[in-house]
Amino acid sequence: MTTHTVTITNRNGATFEVNSRRPLLGQLRDQGVDLPYGCEYGGCITCAAKLTKGEIDQRRQVALNNRQIEHGYVILCVARATSDITLEIGVESHDKLYRNPFLDPLQPHELKADIASPKV
Amino acid sequence: MKCCGPGYASPAEAVKAPSEKLLYTIAIYTGTGIQKPDYLATVDVDPDSPTYSRVIHRLEMPGIGDELHHMGWNACSSCFDDAGMSRKYLILPGVRSNNLHIVDTATDPRAPRLHKVIDGAEIKAKTNLSGPHTVHCLGSEIIISFLGDAKGEAPGGYLHLNKEFEIQGRWENSMGDIKFGYDFWYQPRHNVMVSSEWAAPNTFMPGFDLEEVGHLKYGRELHFWDFEKREPVESFYLGEDGLLPLEVKFHHDPDSTHGFCGAALSTNVIHWWKNGDTWLWEKIIDIENEMHPDWPIPLPGVMSAILISMDDKYLYLNNWLHGDMRQYDIRDPHNPKLTGQVFLGGLLGKAPTVNGVEVAGGPQMFQLSLDGKRLYVTTSLFSTWDNQFYPEIRTKGGVMVMIDCDPVNGGMKIAEDFIIDFGKEPNGPSRCHEARYPGGDCTSDIWL
Ligand code: FES
Repeated sequence: MTTHTVTITNRNGATFEVNSRRPLLGQLRDQGVDLPYGCEYGGCITCAAKLTKGEIDQRRQVALNNRQIEHGYVILCVARATSDITLEIGVESHDKLYRNPFLDPLQPHELKADIASPKV
Repeated sequence: MKCCGPGYASPAEAVKAPSEKLLYTIAIYTGTGIQKPDYLATVDVDPDSPTYSRVIHRLEMPGIGDELHHMGWNACSSCFDDAGMSRKYLILPGVRSNNLHIVDTATDPRAPRLHKVIDGAEIKAKTNLSGPHTVHCLGSEIIISFLGDAKGEAPGGYLHLNKEFEIQGRWENSMGDIKFGYDFWYQPRHNVMVSSEWAAPNTFMPGFDLEEVGHLKYGRELHFWDFEKREPVESFYLGEDGLLPLEVKFHHDPDSTHGFCGAALSTNVIHWWKNGDTWLWEKIIDIENEMHPDWPIPLPGVMSAILISMDDKYLYLNNWLHGDMRQYDIRDPHNPKLTGQVFLGGLLGKAPTVNGVEVAGGPQMFQLSLDGKRLYVTTSLFSTWDNQFYPEIRTKGGVMVMIDCDPVNGGMKIAEDFIIDFGKEPNGPSRCHEARYPGGDCTSDIWL
C-alpha cells in the first residue's frame, strides 16, 4: 500500500505515516494528534488545516469556498494524501480561513464550487 | 385549580414569581483553539449572595467539539396541570456533534449533573437528522428542530422524543415545500405552529458567505403549520424584507394570534396575526444599515434574536453587528414604539468597554426575568461567525451583561454591579450563549 509522510510544522515538525485510502483526520488522530473536528463528512469546517506543501484529494468537501482553497485550506475529515505533505493544523492555522464579508467580498469565481462562476 | 406540575398557571402568574437566583448559560470552546469540552455554567444572579455575578459551577460535556448553542426544558407550563411532571432536565443539543445532553438541574440546582447523552450518530441513523437547534416541550413529549439531514443538507425536520428521552422518530408528517429549518413556536389554542428558516448546516456551519444569500442558500420564508396534523399549510414569502428569518415568538397569552420574527440580515421585525380565518403579515420594525467608515458594504444590524416580555408589553431585539439592544413597546403590535436602547460592543465602536471589560462581539442572546426587570445579554453568536466578525473574541472570550429594564415606563440601562468576563475562565477564554432560569423563563414556556 502506498504511504505518505505528513509533516506538521506547528507541532515542531513532527512526522506521521499515512496511507492514501483513508482521510487524514482519522489517521492522524489514531497516531495521537489532537485535532478539532465536528461533522466528519466535510461540511462544517471545524477540522480545516492549511496545506503548505504536497497534494491532497478533497473532492468530497462542501465547506470551503474557492478562496479558502486557494489559500491552501484542506478539510482533514475527507482529504486523502496523494503525496508527501506538510500541514499546519488547528485554529492556529486559521488566519486566512475567516473573513468579514462586508469588508472583503468574494468574487464570483471565489464562491463555493457549486455556485462559483468560471474565472475570467 | 389542580396543583401542580411545572411552571405557572398563566403568564400573569409567571410575572409574579420570585426573582431568579441562578441562571444557566452554555459556554463553548468549539472553534476557539482550546481543546476542551463545551460546558454548562451556573451563574449566581442573587444580589444578596457573596458570589453574585460569578460563575459558581461548570458542568463539562463528555466530548470535545459539540458547539452547544440553544437549550430547552423537558417540561414547561404546558404541563402545569400534571402533577406527575416536573421541570427537572435541561436538554443541551450540540449543533456540530448532533449529541443531545440531558442535564439534571433539579437534584442540585447550583451543580447540575449529566443524566444521559443521546448519541448524535444514533439520531442520524434512526431519523436522518443533523444540526439540532430549538427544543420545545409539547406537554407529554419533546420536539427539537434539526436543520439538516444526516449529510447536512436542508431542510431537516423535527426529532420526536418521549419524556424518558427515547427517540420516537420524526415528529412531522410532512415538511411540505419547506426549504430550510431553524426556530419554531406554537400556539395550541389556535392549532398553529410557525417555523422559520436559516440555512442548511453545510451552508452556515463553515461561516457566513454573504454572497450565498443571493444564491438562495439562506431562507426568506415563514411557515404556518397545522399543529395537530403536523404538516405545513401556508408559507409567507418575505422577500428582501425577510432575509434570514430566525427567532419566532408568539405572544405568551395563549389566546393571542399575534407573533413576531426577527429577520436577521434584513434586520426587520415581521409581525403576523389572524384576521378571521386569514393569517396576515407586515413589517413593523426596519433597522437601517449603517456605514462603517472603512468598509465598502453597508453594515446591517444582524438581528439574531428577539424576545417578548412575559406580559406581552415589550419586544426586545439585538443588533449584533451595530452593537445595540433595543426595547420596543408593542402594546399596539402594528405600531411599535422604541422605548429603550443601550450599546455594548459591536463593530461601530460605540461601547468598546462595559463595566471595565473590553467587549468582543455584540449583544447576541438574551434572557429576561419573568418580572421584566432584568435582561441578561451575552455576546457570541456561533463559533465560525464570531471568528469572521469579531476575531478578537478568541483571546477575549464572551461576556454576560445585565440590563435593568423599566417594565412600567420603558427604558434600559446597563447594571453597573454585574458583569461576567468569560475571557477569565479557568481553561481559557470561552464564549457564553443562551441563558435559562431553573423555574422557566420568557423563551421557554407555552400555555395550552
Ligand atoms: S469535521 Fe466537519 S468538515 Fe471536517
